[in-house]
Amino acid sequence: MAPVGPRSGDAIFASVERVNAELFTLTYGAIVRQLLTDLEEVEEVNKQLDQMGYNIGIRLVDEFLAKSNVSRCIDFKETADVIAKVGFKMFLGVTASVSNWDADGTCCSIILEDNPLVDFVELPDTCQGLYYCNVLSGVIRGALEMVSMKTEVTWVRDMLRGDDAFELQVKLLKQVPEEYPYKDDE
Amino acid sequence: MIVCVAVVGHQNNPLYIQSFTEADDALKLHHIVHCSLDVIDERVNNPKKSGSTLNETFLGLLYPTENYKVYGYLTNTKVKFIVVTTDLDVRDADVRNFFRKFHVAYVDAVSNPFHVPGKKITSRTFAERVSTIVKSFGLSSAG
Repeated sequence: MAPVGPRSGDAIFASVERVNAELFTLTYGAIVRQLLTDLEEVEEVNKQLDQMGYNIGIRLVDEFLAKSNVSRCIDFKETADVIAKVGFKMFLGVTASVSNWDADGTCCSIILEDNPLVDFVELPDTCQGLYYCNVLSGVIRGALEMVSMKTEVTWVRDMLRGDDAFELQVKLLKQVPEEYPYKDDE
Repeated sequence: MIVCVAVVGHQNNPLYIQSFTEADDALKLHHIVHCSLDVIDERVNNPKKSGSTLNETFLGLLYPTENYKVYGYLTNTKVKFIVVTTDLDVRDADVRNFFRKFHVAYVDAVSNPFHVPGKKITSRTFAERVSTIVKSFGLSSAG
C-alpha cells in the first residue's frame, strides 16, 4: 500500500468531530474568570494558563502527529510552518501565518488574525496585565518539548490590548537529542 | 430621532442608559424611562386576551407623552429594552428592526466573560454598536 502523504489542515479539520464555537469560547471564558476569582493575581493567572496549555500540548502533539501524517521536519522553519498551517487549522479552525524570521532561523513569529478564544471578550481595567490566550503559548511549548525542542513562547501583540492581531514569538532554545534512559554497558 | 435608549434588568435595575441629545434634560428622559417600566409591568401582568400571546418580545408603543414616544421590548429573561424617540411618524417595522439589532448587540455584550450579570454594562464596544444602530435608525426612517 502506498504510504499516505501528509494531509492539509483543511482536510483534517473537515474530518474531525467539531464542537460549537460559542460553547468553546464561553467555556474558555469561564475558565479564565474562575482562575481570576481563585488566584486574584493577574501574573499567577498567566502562569496557570501557561501551565494548563503545557499539559494540553504534551498530549495534543500525539493526536496531531497521528491525524496529520506529517513527515519529520527538516528544520525549525518547517516546524513553524506546520504548526501555523496544519496545527492551528486542525484544532482551532483558523490559519496562522509565520513571519519575522531571524538570521539563524531559530526565532519566528506566528500571527493569528482571528482567534475563536476571544470572541465577545473585553478586558476590564482591573485585568490589564492578563494574557487571556496564554494557554496557546503553553500548548506550543509543550508540544515542541515532546518532539525534543526546547522553546520559549511569548506574546508580542495582543488584540485584547488594542493591537491589530495576535502575534506569538517562538524562539528555539535548543534541540535536546533523545537519550536512552539506560546506560549501554549495564 | 432617538433621544434615549435604556436596558433595564429583570429586577428593574438599570443596566445601561444612554441619551443621544445635547440638551440637558437627561434627567427628564430618565424619568420617562422609569415611568415606562410601570407600563411594561402592567402589560406583562395583565396580558390582553387576544390569543396571540406567544411572541411577546416587542411590546410596542408604551405611551406617548407630549413630545416623545416610548417603545418597549421584553426578552425572555425579563430584561427590558426601552427606546424614547421624538419622531412623530415612526413605522412599526423600523422599531422592530431596531430592537432586533439592539438585542444582538446586547447578547454579545453579555457573553463577555468579564461581564457580571446584573451589573451595569461597561463594554465600550456595546456603546459604539448602539450609537451606530441609533444613527442608522434615523437614516432609514428619513425617506
